[in-house]
Amino acid sequence: MRNGRVGTSLSGAVNVISKRNFKAHWVAPTLRELQRRKVIEEDRNGGPKIFHRSTFLEWNYDAEIFAFSNRLGEKFNDSSLRAALTHKSYIERETARLSDIGVESNLQFHDNEALAKKGGEIMSKFINGYLRAVFTQVPEELIRAMHDFLTSNATLETVAKHIGLGDLMLCADFPCKTETYVKSFKAVVAALAESSGEERARIFVQDLVVTQLYGQDVNELWNPVDPVGNLTAILKREGKAEPEFRLIRQAGSNSILAVYYVGVYSDKNFISEGAGESLEVAKEMAAREALKKLFHTEDSMRALPFGRQLKNIQSRIAQLENQPNVPLSEWISQKVMSAVH
Amino acid sequence: MSNSHLFLPSGFIRTPLQNGLGRYIPQLQRITLKFCKSHGGSRGVRDFIESDLMEFAKTNPGTVVYLKPRRHRSPCMVAEYLNGEREYLSCHEFSRDEVYKWLSYMCTRSGIPVMRFRKYQHTDYPTIQGVWNPFTHQAPEINVAEFPHEVLSKPNDQGPTATEQLIEIFKKTQMEDPANKPPN
Repeated sequence: MRNGRVGTSLSGAVNVISKRNFKAHWVAPTLRELQRRKVIEEDRNGGPKIFHRSTFLEWNYDAEIFAFSNRLGEKFNDSSLRAALTHKSYIERETARLSDIGVESNLQFHDNEALAKKGGEIMSKFINGYLRAVFTQVPEELIRAMHDFLTSNATLETVAKHIGLGDLMLCADFPCKTETYVKSFKAVVAALAESSGEERARIFVQDLVVTQLYGQDVNELWNPVDPVGNLTAILKREGKAEPEFRLIRQAGSNSILAVYYVGVYSDKNFISEGAGESLEVAKEMAAREALKKLFHTEDSMRALPFGRQLKNIQSRIAQLENQPNVPLSEWISQKVMSAVH
Repeated sequence: MSNSHLFLPSGFIRTPLQNGLGRYIPQLQRITLKFCKSHGGSRGVRDFIESDLMEFAKTNPGTVVYLKPRRHRSPCMVAEYLNGEREYLSCHEFSRDEVYKWLSYMCTRSGIPVMRFRKYQHTDYPTIQGVWNPFTHQAPEINVAEFPHEVLSKPNDQGPTATEQLIEIFKKTQMEDPANKPPN
């Protein structure tokens, strides 16, 4: 089925760069009635009718594939790319259709199962390499959280949709499911690695997937459950004094809008301060700020490098793909100092 | 001039999928040129197709160009973008240059609808040193101070008063005299 119904309002609404339209006044009632009937029909059927782009007369799959690879600026092997875009469901449907008609199906289709699996693995590898090279001071748990965010279905589906995979995929479901998009994207990454080499595939993943981290607060993706305990443990491991929490500022303690600033000191040295609506919250926030300072993930941290800025650290990224960062249970500053680039 | 009477939606500058941060991906996915082979209103489009279209297609290899000759219809172009939006433009009685101009305009758009920009810059990181709050730059001594306090109760940018300055000058002159006396 190459058409379907969509419940949301993503119908093929066309934006018109409008000119003056002149229609006589007696045309209006007819148009109004037609619109009314259209709305009723669509409500009854659960949304406006949508058609796959390939059902249009102006469609040339070969030209679309050519444009796809040029749009991204990459060179693909034709067979790899076509295999990456073909799904098992499509092959099954086509062979069933042909056998129904009675035609022998000598179809030379390759599906993208193997490519998708390989693509998922190398994409994870590239993402981890980048994160460990950029976030050198950060424990492995945060790296994992960022990696899980970047490889989540939602993120990958957005990326896949916005590079034009929606019209190119050969699949039986329409509108295409999230898993289909994600599978196609991973398979495309694998096809690129096959065609142009691993370095190009790494840059591709950095340019398209890792840039989705921009604008995200990494501390919202992960922060430790017990910041006070973790801070105490880290300072103990480093041989420093236990963290001491002192109330620095307070205002409005009798009101709803109370604010308490609590500072963390280690051996009378100021580490960080945090604010909260109660003393306990402020203490936790102060411990969180201290951890952020240690991991270099404060709000004022350096901007993430992308594109040309990665030219000098590509070898470092490749090196760190297989070296996990220090986990939180063993984290001390001395261990991560040596890794600063 | 207020903008409340405008029907044009307003918003902040954005780009689909952080385009340009990693690499730049041209957002025009495909463009369909529909024209009539004989009618006069399509003359500009026909001239454009004969002369400038190949060059356009070569310089924009990421865009698929479809040509749709249709009898007895006025010419139009429909641009489709990577985020699913479509732009329709009637090219009736355009000249060849106008067709080229509008086509290159379509190339520069992302599919985000035309809107009034509220600001011409946008950032996801509006503050680096932290937003000011009343406790910023306050002396820590206020925590254990008893008010009224000698120093902290005064305005902190008040310099010495004229009387105090005169007293200072007098004291200086007093101190210089014993130094000028020859040692006994």
